[in-house]
Amino acid sequence: MTNLLQQIVSGLASGGIYGSLALAIVLIHRSTGVVNFAQGELATLSAFICWTLMDHGWAFWPAFGATLALSFLGGVALQQTVIRPIQSGPLLGIVILTIGLLIAVNGLDTWIWGGAAKQFKGPFSTSPINVGGVAFSKQDIGVIVVSILAVVLIGLLFAKTKLGLGLRAAAINPVEARLAGVRVGVMLALGWGLAAALGAVAGVLAAPSLFLEPNMMQTVLLYAFAAAVLGGMDSPVGAVVGGLVLGVLLNLVGTYVHWVGGELRLATALAVILGVLLVRPAGLFGRTAVRRV
Amino acid sequence: MTTKHAALASALIALVVASAAGARTASTPGVSATTITIGSSGPVTGEAAAAAGVLKGADAYFKYVSSRGGVNGRKIDFKYLDDAYDPSKTVQNVRELIQQDNVFALFSVVGTNSNLAIRDFTNAAGVPQVFSAAGATTFGRDYAKYPWTIGYLPPYAEEGKIYARHILTTDAKPAKIAVLYQSDDYGKDLLSGFRSGLGAQARKLVVQTVGYDPTTSDVQSQVAQLKASGANTFMIFAFGKFAIQSFVYANKLGWKPKIYVNDVASASSIMKLDPQSTAEGSISILWGKDPATPKFAKDAGVALAAKIVKKYAPGENPSDGFIVAGMAEAFSLVDALEAAGKNLTRAGLLKAVTHMNEVNNPFLAPGVKVHTTPTFRFPISAVQLQRWHKGHWEPFGGVQSAKP
Amino acid sequence: MRFRAALVGVAVVVLALLPIPLSEFRTVQLATVGAYFIAILGLDVLTGHSGQISLGHGAFMAVGAYTTAILMSNHGVRDLWTIPIAAGVAGGIGLLAGIPALRLSGLYLALATFGIAIALPTVLKKFDHFTGGSTGITLFGKPTQTGHGAGVKILGKQLTNNEWLYALTWTIGVALFLLAWWLLSARFGRSLRAVRDSELAAAASGVNRSAYKVAAFGVSAAYAGVAGSLLAINVAYVSPDTFPIQLSLYLLVGAVVGFFGSIWGAIFGALLIQFLADIVGLIPHVDTKQGGPTTFFFGLVLVVLMLVLPVVLKVGSRVANRGYSRAS
Repeated sequence: MTNLLQQIVSGLASGGIYGSLALAIVLIHRSTGVVNFAQGELATLSAFICWTLMDHGWAFWPAFGATLALSFLGGVALQQTVIRPIQSGPLLGIVILTIGLLIAVNGLDTWIWGGAAKQFKGPFSTSPINVGGVAFSKQDIGVIVVSILAVVLIGLLFAKTKLGLGLRAAAINPVEARLAGVRVGVMLALGWGLAAALGAVAGVLAAPSLFLEPNMMQTVLLYAFAAAVLGGMDSPVGAVVGGLVLGVLLNLVGTYVHWVGGELRLATALAVILGVLLVRPAGLFGRTAVRRV
Repeated sequence: MTTKHAALASALIALVVASAAGARTASTPGVSATTITIGSSGPVTGEAAAAAGVLKGADAYFKYVSSRGGVNGRKIDFKYLDDAYDPSKTVQNVRELIQQDNVFALFSVVGTNSNLAIRDFTNAAGVPQVFSAAGATTFGRDYAKYPWTIGYLPPYAEEGKIYARHILTTDAKPAKIAVLYQSDDYGKDLLSGFRSGLGAQARKLVVQTVGYDPTTSDVQSQVAQLKASGANTFMIFAFGKFAIQSFVYANKLGWKPKIYVNDVASASSIMKLDPQSTAEGSISILWGKDPATPKFAKDAGVALAAKIVKKYAPGENPSDGFIVAGMAEAFSLVDALEAAGKNLTRAGLLKAVTHMNEVNNPFLAPGVKVHTTPTFRFPISAVQLQRWHKGHWEPFGGVQSAKP
Repeated sequence: MRFRAALVGVAVVVLALLPIPLSEFRTVQLATVGAYFIAILGLDVLTGHSGQISLGHGAFMAVGAYTTAILMSNHGVRDLWTIPIAAGVAGGIGLLAGIPALRLSGLYLALATFGIAIALPTVLKKFDHFTGGSTGITLFGKPTQTGHGAGVKILGKQLTNNEWLYALTWTIGVALFLLAWWLLSARFGRSLRAVRDSELAAAASGVNRSAYKVAAFGVSAAYAGVAGSLLAINVAYVSPDTFPIQLSLYLLVGAVVGFFGSIWGAIFGALLIQFLADIVGLIPHVDTKQGGPTTFFFGLVLVVLMLVLPVVLKVGSRVANRGYSRAS
């Protein structure tokens, strides 16, 4: 019983990481219809930047703030330089381009920081809190809270601000939005910037518990895809809920289904992706069904 | 196919042809009047990149030896390639080294699977594959079938037995043991050695074993599962970041077992994790000198290692245990090359590495000797236990046998 | 048409003569290039001509490679005969995979195949009684290996093992190239492109879209299966780590370098996969001993190509269409 609860708690903590990366993926998908395969690698790059600043003596919070700002600008710059020129082209072209980014950023990380794992000191304490035999740390709580906080903020941004309205309008109907005076190009760039900043949050959340190395987010990306698909590719709430559900699910299947064990985690996530796509393409929270061609 | 394509194609072909030019003559491949070419392959990148320290240490030591006149008047040209821990890449690297670079011998190829993958090829080609940085028992045992292959490290299975012996002899209260192991030959070798060391007790004492795949992102769930088994002893048969994670997650879960961590994950660079209280009291084995161990602070061998790193591998961490381990291996190879004589042949090297009797290796812990015979091919077959205390390893107990 | 046929003739002569000036090792490297070439041809059929993306073609290569390895080591089947079997097994699995793929639009197909490529090595390791686990399967010196790794005598001429591997791979490579050329210029190819360019129009003109899309998956997977089988025979070793996600992504880069869908370009992609590290090594101050720079340039090549490709594609498709219509 304790083990069951422990696995659920640990699963939620991992799930928070998956959810926050999934959120970044959903944000771009929602506003541009593209799935950014480089999202995980960009998150790792952000975490490396944060680590480097801290290595140069910065405290965590200023380093994190600078990383967020840099990531946001980086996202905008990326959209402006490589995405915008082919924005009007076929969707698949942009997707393939993001795969190029995935490979390039991964190589860049290895080039600059080497392959060995680095310990990353996060803002939250990792000392254990014991409640009825179930142990967790402030770090675990922090991950879950931050991911939920992120989705709430995104929700408020979209619902309550003029900027959010513009972002939505640009995504839903760029032509009419443009007629209504929304600067669609700016909105798309801001969308990429926001997603990159969210990715940075995911990277910095993940690094203390996964340890920082160039491939840190490579498998997490698959979990994040599974979370996003599970929650519905267009639903920010779905992304985070999907992440938490997936984290728990993977732990429980790994612990209690013996022939799966700890080794088939990735395959389980893949099964989730395939299952949802084939049975309920809209996911748990998505409204728009996957376009069947 | 436009002319532009054709031009690109011919440029590519020209490039291939140009880079193919390579000398091949001489009676013994890789040996000229002035140089000996030695090849290797290891994970310079990827999840096992830390182990590449072995190659960097060996490289630095060879440069040092070469600068002092070399071996029997020949400098050592050491060429190692990256395989990112992918054995099929190792196979291709080794082909390149043998067929393109004409290496005299392969030395210290890193990883059990990599060495298994290449040994049919090296033995068919009659190329020595010596002092492999891998601890599977087969490399020392199966010399009848693979005469050109010999390992270096103490066999993993014996390492597992040593931990088992220590648990059986020292534990006042009965141990309840949980094991985390990497699901491959290396992890399973340790586990099976450990079980056989516990003998009839194994069934009773080992309460939970969990494997992980090294492509996974973390072992959080596995450690939680092991904790839930109620174990008071935690065997970490994991490598690199998974070993660090094991410590950190155990701490995060408020689990304070007695920890044993396997040799390849016990480098001080790994153990200096945060928070330190987690690692305190952990037990491992040693056979090479860990420069971070205070006992070796004034040691001549460690000082020499530091000097060599500074001059020939600037930028590398001189207190990295992998680097010194690589130097120990390189020292033994230089010994063997010297013994093989001025008229160097592959058969001569094979004879030398199977007649080792080296007592003066400055990079090995006191009492650890390199000893082989044609029928006993485990160069390092003695180790000592060590305990992590206040941020460094402290050897304890005497040197004990790790002979299979 | 005549020009293209002549080009194939020249290519065959060059391929036949190439090993003479090359070292043993470069010869066997080019054999590996041949395996990549075949896999990229398959990807061209699937993505270039039927418009279905696969980020997991390494998985089909793995199916072919393991079919060969298991048959050779456990069932005493000679390596040559395992190649058609590998094609059949991979092709069959491809057909099966093509059916659910019909239900997924481009983006989701990319996601699903990406997932397959990432999860595959762990699955191969898990079923170790079948696949040899992470230790893999060594084929070198097996009695089922043609020449047992020592060399082969053909038509009275003694070939070294590497020359034999080169000859084998490229003979099959050229044959499969001609087959792809014929397939794509025949009705099959025209229908595929019709479905790709406008599903509606294709349906209206009576093309069974589903059948063609599934068939494309099958053909493409069979090509990848042959490529995997040849890779296993070349390296004489397979393990789960032989087929990481990177392989699948590099194949995609290779296909893009070959201007997507132009089977003529596949050779550039295949050469790039094998030799990019050597090319990057020519840049001063770049140490390719460390894998980072090479990986970075792989990605960069893809990004840059995708940016210029819209231009290239327009020119390319005009040339290609003319070529195919003439061929018919």
